[in-house]
Amino acid sequence: MTVEKLKETVLDTLKDVELVMGYQMGFDALHATPLFIRKKEDAERLIWNPLCVHNLTTYLPSLKKSRVGVVVKGCDSRTIIQFLQEGLITRENVTIIGIPCQGIISVRKVLKEIEYEPVEEVSFNSDSMTIKTLKGSKTLKIEDVWPDKCITCKYPTPLIYDYLIGEPVSFDRGVEVSQVIKELEGKSLNERLAYWQKEFDRCIRCYACRNACPLCVCQDSCIAETREPHWISQRLTLNEKFMFHMIHALHLAGRCVECGECARVCPMDIPVNILKKKINLDMKELFGYVPGVNAEDKPPMYTFNVDEVNIKEHGI
Amino acid sequence: MRVGVFICHCGNNIAGTIDVARVAEETRKIPGVVYATTYMYTCSEPGQEEIKEAIKREGLDRVVVAACSPRMHEMTFRRTVEKAGLNRYFFEMANIREHISWVGEDKEFNTRKAIDVVRMAVAKVMQNRPLFSSSFKINKRVLVMGGGVAGMQAALDCADGGLEVVIVEKSQSIGGMMARLDKTFPTIDCSICILGPKMVDVAQHEKIKLYAYSEIDEIKGYVGNYQVKIRKKATYVDWSKCTGCGACMEKCPSKNAYDYFNFGVAPTKAINIPFPQAIPKKAKIDPNYCRQFTKGKCGVCAKICPTKAIDYEMKDEIITEEVGAIIVATGYSLIDMDMLPEYGGGRYPDVISGIQYERLLNASGPTAGHIERPSDHEEPKTIVFVSCAGSRDKSIGIPYCSNFCCMYIAKQAILTKDHISDSQSYVFYMDIRSPGKGYDEFTRRAQEEYGVHYIRGRVSRIYPKGKKLVVRGADTLLGTQVEIEADLVVLATAVISNKDAAYMAEKLHISYDTFGFYVESHPKLRPVETNTSGVFLAGACQGPKDIPASVGQGSAAASKILALFSGETLESDPAVARVNINACVGCLKCVKTCPFGAIKEKELRDGRVVADVIETVCAGCGVCTSTCPCGAIQLQHFTDNQILAEVNALCLI
Repeated sequence: MTVEKLKETVLDTLKDVELVMGYQMGFDALHATPLFIRKKEDAERLIWNPLCVHNLTTYLPSLKKSRVGVVVKGCDSRTIIQFLQEGLITRENVTIIGIPCQGIISVRKVLKEIEYEPVEEVSFNSDSMTIKTLKGSKTLKIEDVWPDKCITCKYPTPLIYDYLIGEPVSFDRGVEVSQVIKELEGKSLNERLAYWQKEFDRCIRCYACRNACPLCVCQDSCIAETREPHWISQRLTLNEKFMFHMIHALHLAGRCVECGECARVCPMDIPVNILKKKINLDMKELFGYVPGVNAEDKPPMYTFNVDEVNIKEHGI
Repeated sequence: MRVGVFICHCGNNIAGTIDVARVAEETRKIPGVVYATTYMYTCSEPGQEEIKEAIKREGLDRVVVAACSPRMHEMTFRRTVEKAGLNRYFFEMANIREHISWVGEDKEFNTRKAIDVVRMAVAKVMQNRPLFSSSFKINKRVLVMGGGVAGMQAALDCADGGLEVVIVEKSQSIGGMMARLDKTFPTIDCSICILGPKMVDVAQHEKIKLYAYSEIDEIKGYVGNYQVKIRKKATYVDWSKCTGCGACMEKCPSKNAYDYFNFGVAPTKAINIPFPQAIPKKAKIDPNYCRQFTKGKCGVCAKICPTKAIDYEMKDEIITEEVGAIIVATGYSLIDMDMLPEYGGGRYPDVISGIQYERLLNASGPTAGHIERPSDHEEPKTIVFVSCAGSRDKSIGIPYCSNFCCMYIAKQAILTKDHISDSQSYVFYMDIRSPGKGYDEFTRRAQEEYGVHYIRGRVSRIYPKGKKLVVRGADTLLGTQVEIEADLVVLATAVISNKDAAYMAEKLHISYDTFGFYVESHPKLRPVETNTSGVFLAGACQGPKDIPASVGQGSAAASKILALFSGETLESDPAVARVNINACVGCLKCVKTCPFGAIKEKELRDGRVVADVIETVCAGCGVCTSTCPCGAIQLQHFTDNQILAEVNALCLI
């Protein structure tokens, strides 16, 4: 059983590290929450199922100097690779416990299906889940409540790990570009602007997207909140919100590993991850680079070349 | 804050298409501006006095001059405000000439644009901070890249001025193109006879160190402190032992090596010394032809060498030299004749280039100075010279004039008559360009005294007919077609930049034009400076040039360096990147992107790691500032807030 094997591995890992990060049950049956294991008995609370949606690697850069273990899915492992490319973590200090993943759920999509009723119990079968609410129970195919990132997933098995719990899985669901991006690409500039203005108008500038993003390195020095330099004011106008999201997206150009945490945590359900995914497509076209795949790669924005192969600047 | 704005008429240059009085009037309405005036020539002495007086009289603490490009007068006015007691960075220049009055004709439009540009400058100057330069020690050694006549002159002048000089020459001997010429115009004095002594001076000067057959691998550093990695290419001959006796060259069995010095007029040996006056006069093996390398056995030269200097195992050697300034004198190349198929270039052996003809005329050339046709070694009687062979030809991408061909064709035609008295030379030309001292008289002499037949028109085709070549062209003065049956055709092939010119420019961080020629700092007033402090230009790497002009530039570059090195220290430019350690998150992206290696990581006392700029290495390019996600690294005098203030001044009103 995966969870038993996981607990065993975690306990093993705990001998060399100060802390192992995994998942435990949250405030209700539909939510998991991060678990920070420092003592043996903490490991008892470990769980593993499609509710384990969080990208736990987010905590790693702030723990750069400590020895830690972390449980990762395939998508989460790309963050670690990106950290290594950018020198944000030290490989020797991190023990990676990888779990091949068949897809997680979008809590938001499930809640919509059960019409936001309080959840009493959740159980999982091989490819479906049953949710018991006060109004009765409902069975959903997990596939139907996948978040966007699972639909386009190419890396179900972690790309980097020290321990692998379970057999590697591999599939390509054959979806290259998500439906939303395809639709947006078909629109005119003005239509796209209107779309994003409508979306960003809901933004309350809570910065949850930024704080959840594993690759937002600036922490408390975020340019959205500084006066020096004073790029944007604190006003809640559409222009300021728009500017903030543009900055966030551009700072992730060629770095975003598409973990989808920004969109997941947004209380206003703004699809902020779409912008970054689109920029990634452009980065692939321009530099032939996909973030978080090979630790030896060099992010294109971290280099300075006078002449880029796909950018004709000098004309000679 | 009390800002004063001075709007210059620049005679009619600005006032002609901008209503300067209205600009002043509108400027007075900008918050912070307490004084605005116009002046006929702000850069003139009374104009500058006016600024100084206004600073005192009006109590100004910031100054904006709306005039020409800052490239022109920013320094002038910085000094002006400094003399009046302000920090020199409390000054901004609004360019309303190059950016507005010279490019637009609509006075109303121009005036409005000028008001916007002044408003931006005011917004910027109000955000400016006082900056102070620090001084740093300099290494008073000079690197001269290229040992042609320009580089040699520059090296000798620097060395005579007391500076140590390192010359790096990529070929086997110094001397460059001039060493290959037979005679020089307009005096017809022997080229190597006047160059030779200079070459000897270079070799013997105690302050000059010469690296021949060497190339620049890497240049690091900044004005006053460069580290240069020099690659001494393998010659397979130990030059410390080689005496230049030439015994190896005599006995070498590989006789078909390409002769780079003679531009392939005749083959040479696989081991050779390019010419008798070569400096250093040392042999070099061409491994593409040497049998020891191509067949794996031979070793004749190693056996014959009296000093046992041959070393087939020799490897390239990297040497690091530290210098404080660089003179680029890398010279020029000529187009390949294959680019001129209509002239049969590269197909007919008796169609040769001007520089090849020069080698035929030269007493130490492959024919010992006897003019003969490459095909059958017969003496040609009818010789046709074609000028502008590639030059001034947009169709092959060379729209410019190659500068010296008109003159050397006249010289070669005169020499031809001297060599073969019963010969007849023809010159096809577009225009005769002979503006130098004594130049026009010289071309007239070719026509009047030496009977050279000048035909104004272009050659359309050259084709063989028996042993002869038919040159068909137009005589535009007579309005007829002409056909000349020639024994030999000489093409004045176009001057182009060296193949690696752009690559070298990137290493030096200097600009180059679309043709690969290096760009001087100002076409008239700073002809040997580049926009990179500490790097100077001399000779044809900057554009086609004849010998006197190259020598003049060599001396000019040397004088610039002697002035630069007149003190023990230099002032650093404070407009460089600076890290706000409170905001820096230590992601160190800037370290990775800095093209100058000017940023390193620094650990603070609390163990936090932040970026740190090495002020003297930073070139102020700003790559780091656009890389930094949190704006912690800022280019001083061009901070985000200063630029945002300008953008806001333009967009928010």
